[in-house]
Amino acid sequence: MTAKTRRRPPVLAVLSTAFIVLWLVLAAFPFLWTLWGSFKVQGDFFSRQDWVNALTGVHTIAETGGPFTGRGYYGAWVTKEFWRAAINTGIVTVSVVLISLTFGTLGGYALSRSPHRYAFWILIAALIFRAMPHITLVSGYLLPFFQLNVWGYLTTAIVVLVAINQPFTLWMLHSFFKSIPKDLDESAMVDGCSRFQAFRMVIIPVMWPGVVTTGLFSFLLAYNDFAVTATLLTQDNQTMVPKIASFLGTTQVQGNVMYAVSAVVSATVPLFLLVLFFQRQIVSGLTAGAVKG
Amino acid sequence: MAEIQLKNVSKRWGNFVAVDAFDLAIADEEFLVLLGPSGCGKTTTMRMIAGLEEITDGEIFIGERLVNRLEPKDRDIAMVFQSYGLYPTMSVYENIRFPLKVRRVAKDEHHERVMRAAKMVELTDFLERRPAELSGGQRQRVALARAIVRQPTVFLMDEPLSNLDAKLRVSTRSQIKNLHHELRTTTIYVTHDQIEAMTLADRVVVMNKGVVQQVGTPLEIYDRPANTFVAGFIGSPAMNLIDGTIGDGVFTGQNVTIKGLPATVSGPVTLGFRAEDAAARPDGGGEIAAPIFSLELLGEASMVTVQAGGALVAVKVPKDFAAEIGSAFSAAVPAGICHLFDAESGKRIAV
Amino acid sequence: MPHRTFIWFILPSALAMLIFIALPIVSILVQSLFVENERVLVTVENCGPFGCQKEVRVDAQATAALQREHPLGRFNGLGTYGNRSHLAFSEIAAIWNARPTLAGFLSEVMTLPFYRALAFTLAYTAVVTPLVIALGFFIALAVDALPRMVKGPVIFMSLLPMMITPLIGSLVLFWMIDSNGIIGASIQALANDPSLSLKASATLAWITLFVYGIWHSAPFAFVVFYAGLQTVPQDTMESAMIDGASRWERVRYVVLPHLSPLVVFVALIQLMDNFRVFEPIVGFSAQANATSLSFNIYNDLRSTGTPLFGSAAATSVLTLAGVALLLTPVLVRTWRDFKRSR
Ligand SMILES: Nc1ncnc2c1ncn2[C@@H]1O[C@H](COP(=O)(O)OP(=O)(O)OP(=O)(O)O)[C@@H](O)[C@H]1O
Ligand SMILES: [Mg+2]
Repeated sequence: MTAKTRRRPPVLAVLSTAFIVLWLVLAAFPFLWTLWGSFKVQGDFFSRQDWVNALTGVHTIAETGGPFTGRGYYGAWVTKEFWRAAINTGIVTVSVVLISLTFGTLGGYALSRSPHRYAFWILIAALIFRAMPHITLVSGYLLPFFQLNVWGYLTTAIVVLVAINQPFTLWMLHSFFKSIPKDLDESAMVDGCSRFQAFRMVIIPVMWPGVVTTGLFSFLLAYNDFAVTATLLTQDNQTMVPKIASFLGTTQVQGNVMYAVSAVVSATVPLFLLVLFFQRQIVSGLTAGAVKG
Repeated sequence: MAEIQLKNVSKRWGNFVAVDAFDLAIADEEFLVLLGPSGCGKTTTMRMIAGLEEITDGEIFIGERLVNRLEPKDRDIAMVFQSYGLYPTMSVYENIRFPLKVRRVAKDEHHERVMRAAKMVELTDFLERRPAELSGGQRQRVALARAIVRQPTVFLMDEPLSNLDAKLRVSTRSQIKNLHHELRTTTIYVTHDQIEAMTLADRVVVMNKGVVQQVGTPLEIYDRPANTFVAGFIGSPAMNLIDGTIGDGVFTGQNVTIKGLPATVSGPVTLGFRAEDAAARPDGGGEIAAPIFSLELLGEASMVTVQAGGALVAVKVPKDFAAEIGSAFSAAVPAGICHLFDAESGKRIAV
Repeated sequence: MPHRTFIWFILPSALAMLIFIALPIVSILVQSLFVENERVLVTVENCGPFGCQKEVRVDAQATAALQREHPLGRFNGLGTYGNRSHLAFSEIAAIWNARPTLAGFLSEVMTLPFYRALAFTLAYTAVVTPLVIALGFFIALAVDALPRMVKGPVIFMSLLPMMITPLIGSLVLFWMIDSNGIIGASIQALANDPSLSLKASATLAWITLFVYGIWHSAPFAFVVFYAGLQTVPQDTMESAMIDGASRWERVRYVVLPHLSPLVVFVALIQLMDNFRVFEPIVGFSAQANATSLSFNIYNDLRSTGTPLFGSAAATSVLTLAGVALLLTPVLVRTWRDFKRSR
């Protein structure tokens, strides 16, 4: 906005700045606090006497000799084999992103280019599918998967997550493709491309920003999922999120809740980096999704 | 090189008829212009020939081949899009080379052919640039070069000059004319600018609301419009059209009486004549007599408008013609320059 | 695009959605009509030194065989829908007859698992959705007014609650509100009541979950509105100024109408997402005080021993009915627009 339209009375400016500061504290403080606390012992992070203990680390110094300790991390990653879950998460998210994007670009492109009415209805169906609570779908899978003997494998979780992710991917890529002029693929087809060649050689190179943004959201869905991975995977194949959930049942009793805290911090680091590097794409992606509803 | 035949080609979207029973044979090496007002179905017709739009009814032949079900790439055509359709991620050179690449033309020929095409449209200095770094006219020429880089059977051009400024339009127009002269490729050219149509075309197809109104050489269309729509669309200004009645070779209407017309026609008719064919009669006694409605200086001449036959009628006068608005005016409209159209159907009445 | 090409392009997506979204819906419809097999019991005579005793035992082998033969279980018709864990018709009738006052009736009904979950799910959706939109809108207005330099970091920090894994996000807050955690302990100190716990009281647990939901989703609304604010037509804004519109009137008559499609978008997404609330309940271990429909399904599926597929499926069907109700206004509107555009 231009300078003129944004000039504001000072009271309002102060109020709005105070509001933002408050919001930022609310938004970011829990993360900082947990990050800090993950290097303490339980007695400090969950301090009966005084929360200042968590800052000074009285018990941490008493128990380990230093103000910071990596015990929680050691416990989670080594003792509890969190690394296995991390590898599984890696496999699941990368596969889900790649497959979702492959299917989604093809489908989204077709939807954006078809003049026929059924394209509209497919989009509406996708919208309805988007509304399905994931756990209801899972309750539909479990019994058939047991019967077919496909329960428990990473592949199964990947396929299911791809499918669940598809409605959103289709919508998002559809609106990105819509913004690319039709002339482009049409001139490619006249120049001698088949529909698929036009898509691959002319449209995809133009589409990279949209593909990256959609990929980010597919990543988030797969990475953050709990409903599917907690119910469809065996103990050995568990990914990070259900693994952390399973820590809770056992560790609280043993006084090793710090394992869970460290695991939580570890699992948050990739997300943190993601926001750091792709902030612009995330913002533009949400807008693109919104433009077309 | 080949001739193109459209047999009763129609396009409908639901109940809306965009092109209705288009029937035409386009000769080999012909430069055909599709002309008509906005939304009349020109682009749709061209896209059906290119294979970008499904045909609802009818058949299209390119050469001997029925192409109805053929993909665009198998029709051996080249097309220049109204908005150019350049590939933004490729350089100008790559853009021009693209058709050769995807059609698997032998690699060693590429460079030479790209350079020849680029030279024809005077683009050799810009080959490394991206389309975004070019002006509108330069982009236009890239689109042209991409079309001529291989020798297609047919060129399709959809208003290729519409985005250019007046001066560039004139020069690119002559470039296209020259290219056609050199390459001799059958060309279909869409425009709603009649000057372009007149200057470029071997034959012009005038369309309105999806229906072909007249097919003919530019002169035929100008001199013998097939109906009142063509008469009112072609020419600048368009032909004057006056309503009135005719009997015993005499046409009468508001402020108009023209004698010496064919006596075979009688009843209500529409009479047409061109502003430049009529002349002022300063001494009075012309076929049209009415007070002057407006007087405009055009540069090389002036235009007088009067009310006659329920319409505004324009007459071209010398540029030094001077008169007050509202003063009496008389114009000579001899029977020889008049066209007669059926008052109801608007069809030309042969005389 | 010809039909054939279209089909090839859409096929992978369409198949994935048909097999893993549409088919499971059929699957839960079928499953909801069945209940688990009964265990096969045998009576065996145990003869020991003190005489013979009759004992009833589970015949594991026969049970497994039965399970193999009828993996779905016994056919139960619509029975599951009516039982205590779901719509609980007979229980409701009994309560109705026993309790003349409406408040008493409602509080009794709230002890039935399905209604308890439904009540929380609806409350969560109804409270969180509008507050998310309002909070997101104000954050967007405030951020938009910030100097360019600080905008980047502010947006970065604001995005964090949304990006975080819901389960992890709720754990982080859960630890902080633990009576030994920073917030929990501080609240006790402030209220001077060492027994106060956000986890113990149902009301406080609900509020905690609502607050978490708003914290988690407000950034989404914020980002969408913020991006919308960047495209507010400047000339309209300026002409409104010239016309003498006050600051608030400009927001009311120019900015809000411009953002209204985005509000619809955010509301739609939020309704969908909030209606399936589930991870926070796991993260906050709040099931004693609050359960949601999704949580009930999860609970049935994870129930120790045999998963209660029939029960989970019945709740799923009821949940989907709720989703359908939720979507109806949207679909009706889309359908009308579609009709009009033709
Ligand atoms: N995909 C479509 N669906 C429905 N109607 C369409 C579609 N494409 C074009 N039309 C209609 O068909 C008619 C002819 O369109 P066409 O693009 O051929 O016009 P045109 O003669 O090229 O006009 P212009 O000179 O403005 O480019 C128009 O009335 C247009 O609204
Ligand atoms: Mg057109």
